[in-house]
Amino acid sequence: MLETLLITWRESLEAALIVGILLTYLARSGQRTGVPYVWGGTAAAVLAALGCAAASNGIIARLDPDLQELVQTGVLLLAVGVLTWMVLWMHRHARAIRGDLQRRADAALARGRLIGLATIAFAAVFREGVETVLFLWGVVVQRAGAAALPLAVAGLAGAALAIATAWLFFRGFGFLDLQTFFRVTGVLLLLVAAGLLASAINKLIGLGYVSPLVPQVWNSGWLVRDDSLLGRLLGALVGYRSRPSLLELLAYCAYFPPVVWLLRRAQAVPAGRAPRHSAA
Amino acid sequence: MTRPLALPLLALVLTVGAARAADEPAVALSVAEGGFSPSEIEAPSRSRVRIEVTNRTAVAIEFESFELNRERVVQPGQTVSVWVSGLEPGRYEFFDDFHRERRGTLVVR
Repeated sequence: MLETLLITWRESLEAALIVGILLTYLARSGQRTGVPYVWGGTAAAVLAALGCAAASNGIIARLDPDLQELVQTGVLLLAVGVLTWMVLWMHRHARAIRGDLQRRADAALARGRLIGLATIAFAAVFREGVETVLFLWGVVVQRAGAAALPLAVAGLAGAALAIATAWLFFRGFGFLDLQTFFRVTGVLLLLVAAGLLASAINKLIGLGYVSPLVPQVWNSGWLVRDDSLLGRLLGALVGYRSRPSLLELLAYCAYFPPVVWLLRRAQAVPAGRAPRHSAA
Repeated sequence: MTRPLALPLLALVLTVGAARAADEPAVALSVAEGGFSPSEIEAPSRSRVRIEVTNRTAVAIEFESFELNRERVVQPGQTVSVWVSGLEPGRYEFFDDFHRERRGTLVVR
């Protein structure tokens, strides 16, 4: 039972952290109109994951397993794309906020951004959701009847615990002033995105489409185990793996130069274009 | 923007060509209620190996290994190919992440 709880906690943690970053960011930047979209994306992903599990003995079972893995890779790349775009948008927005949030009504978000928020939440939750649902489904099927109930509850408790972990984690950022908070969130989201890109590459290596170049560049398993609490947190936040391949590392590193270049370019926009709110 | 991407893209293009030859040797591995069978599999070192994982149980399993840097869900009745390559000789543990008591080892010689 404890194992069931731990597995769902672990599988849900990354999704909870990403959704947590989005919600905390929206709350602190006074853009609460985005909140329902984040929850909407989350709910859609949970439904989609349930749908996949329900179909796993029918349509999905007849799909090529490699195709399913490729879909997961596509979801990862989609997440990398929208996360990057969101950080660029946050970066521009941060300059416009300048602290006087109390006097401002919640900023209305453009439609495209709302859909972007929902997409990030969807991609993050769907990715881990399919695995969690398949696992829980297995737990319930294996012990039909009343014996399955406590385990299903343990599974849901694990997911709840993941949300609590993410909540505690972001409560920890409460002491940061807004400017620092935005900077920290931005950097975190970029690290998350780079980690997801490396995960996508890892899937392609496992599928045999690309070579790892060097299968194991280092082994830091003695220092931080992949399945320890720290390993899981670092895995979700910065894409930590104890034994990364060279191709994953290259992909991780290659993500940053173009993004930093885009951020610099966003900063170079003339100040007049950024709305000032001091008179609002 | 293109320059920082050029190196990894080149690496990707160069390596894609070598990948997924159908006649690569495969190592068969199946999962039943009792665990992995066989519980120890072998592969030659520094070569490309396809581990063919078949799930013979009634529920999903996840073939996972920190040492091989791989994880892959296998639905009931399905067979999936997990590729590993260029491994140094040694013992590499793997397990079913959904049922942790099921464990096995890949011995690379």
